[in-house]
Amino acid sequence: MQIQIDRTSGQIAMSGEFTFTDHIPFKQMVTEIFAAPGKAVVIDLSRLDFIDSAGLGMLLLARDEAKKTHRELILRGPIGQVKRMFTVTKFNTLFKVEE
Amino acid sequence: MFGWKNSNAAAAKLPSPEPSDVPAPEGPQRQDELMRRWIAFADMQQRVIRTLVHEIQQTSAVVETEADNLSSRFQNLAICAGQQTERVESLSRLAIGIEVDGEAVAIDRIAVLLEETLSDVVEKILMLSKDAMSMVYALSELSANVDRVDSCMEELNKINRVTNMLALNARIEAERAGTAGAAFRVVAGEVRELSGATQRLSVDMATELKAVTEGIADGHATLQRVATIDLSQNLMAKDRLQVLMEALIRRSGNLTEVVADAMKEAEVISADVAGMVTGIQFQDRTRQRLEHVVDTLRVVDEALDELKTTTAETLDVPVAETPGDNEWVKTMLDRFTLGDMRSRFVAQILEGRQPADHVEAVAAPSTTGTVELF
Repeated sequence: MQIQIDRTSGQIAMSGEFTFTDHIPFKQMVTEIFAAPGKAVVIDLSRLDFIDSAGLGMLLLARDEAKKTHRELILRGPIGQVKRMFTVTKFNTLFKVEE
Repeated sequence: MFGWKNSNAAAAKLPSPEPSDVPAPEGPQRQDELMRRWIAFADMQQRVIRTLVHEIQQTSAVVETEADNLSSRFQNLAICAGQQTERVESLSRLAIGIEVDGEAVAIDRIAVLLEETLSDVVEKILMLSKDAMSMVYALSELSANVDRVDSCMEELNKINRVTNMLALNARIEAERAGTAGAAFRVVAGEVRELSGATQRLSVDMATELKAVTEGIADGHATLQRVATIDLSQNLMAKDRLQVLMEALIRRSGNLTEVVADAMKEAEVISADVAGMVTGIQFQDRTRQRLEHVVDTLRVVDEALDELKTTTAETLDVPVAETPGDNEWVKTMLDRFTLGDMRSRFVAQILEGRQPADHVEAVAAPSTTGTVELF
């Protein structure tokens, strides 16, 4: 998985496959992005091809971090398998998911 | 006297019963002749009436027998139609759902139960994934803490080595000072003992810390194996099961519609059959009407008999049948298209035979399934 962070706008773009092996860079990214001041954090998923259950768990931990800092975490543009996983797990009831 | 002679239709088809080449008698002789011919004609009329009576009775009996057969068959059909309706009703109940522990559960309710169960499973998988990742992060933090403690231990060892060196130097200097350094020698010895104890404690702590580090590493590895089990296929199973259940609900709906249509048609068939049974039972009215006709014909026959006797008494010469009187009957019988009926009429009217009981012969076509063609 590749992560691109735009610190000025608070946007993160993830691409490739998001699995357990990505937990260290993802944790660093979350720590970094929520340490900086700001409002909503947007994760762009429009180029993310695959997510496994560990990836879903990491997104839920990121949501907890957002709550601690009173920030909103927005998941934007899921497609294909990622979108289907979000539908099955009803992620739209846990996150703000934008098409 | 022959009223039918003035009928246009009869005149066109039937020959005149009067011979044209015989000169007409005159006066009382002519009246006698006409009376004899009337009596002969009345006699023929009686034969026709009796034949007709017999034919009507036989036909009525055949119709009644056939109507009874038909009624019996339609009643069987009505029973079958009723049973068919019950089977369709049963099928209707089967189409709606399944029976579990004596309780009917609708297909759509099964889908709801399945959806609830799968949603619960999905929720637990998500919680499991989240907790597993949380523990991975916590163990990573713990591992980092242990690394930092290990660094501290290293620093402690360095300090201990320096302390030990200082104690050794102090002991050397105390020996050089002789008796004046006796007290200093005791202090140096105590410091060296303290350094040795600290060294032993440090070794013990290092051993324990190594065990903790290895435990954390093992736990991290185990947790990593758990966390890397991809449950996304299990999550997607819910998606596939939902698609299957939707298809099952659609199939159930279609089946219910078809069964409902079949149910309506079965009810219509039952009602039609019941109506036909009732209609056939009205055959009894037909039999009564034919009995009235037969009764009327018998009264006419008796009246003719009486009038014929009265007329014959006024004549001097007995009445004899003339060959010409049968011609119109023969011509009439030639118009019959049913051979067996014609034979019976010829035997009874022209040949004067008594009617035979031929109910079975007449009824035969319906039992053999054939009809006489003409």
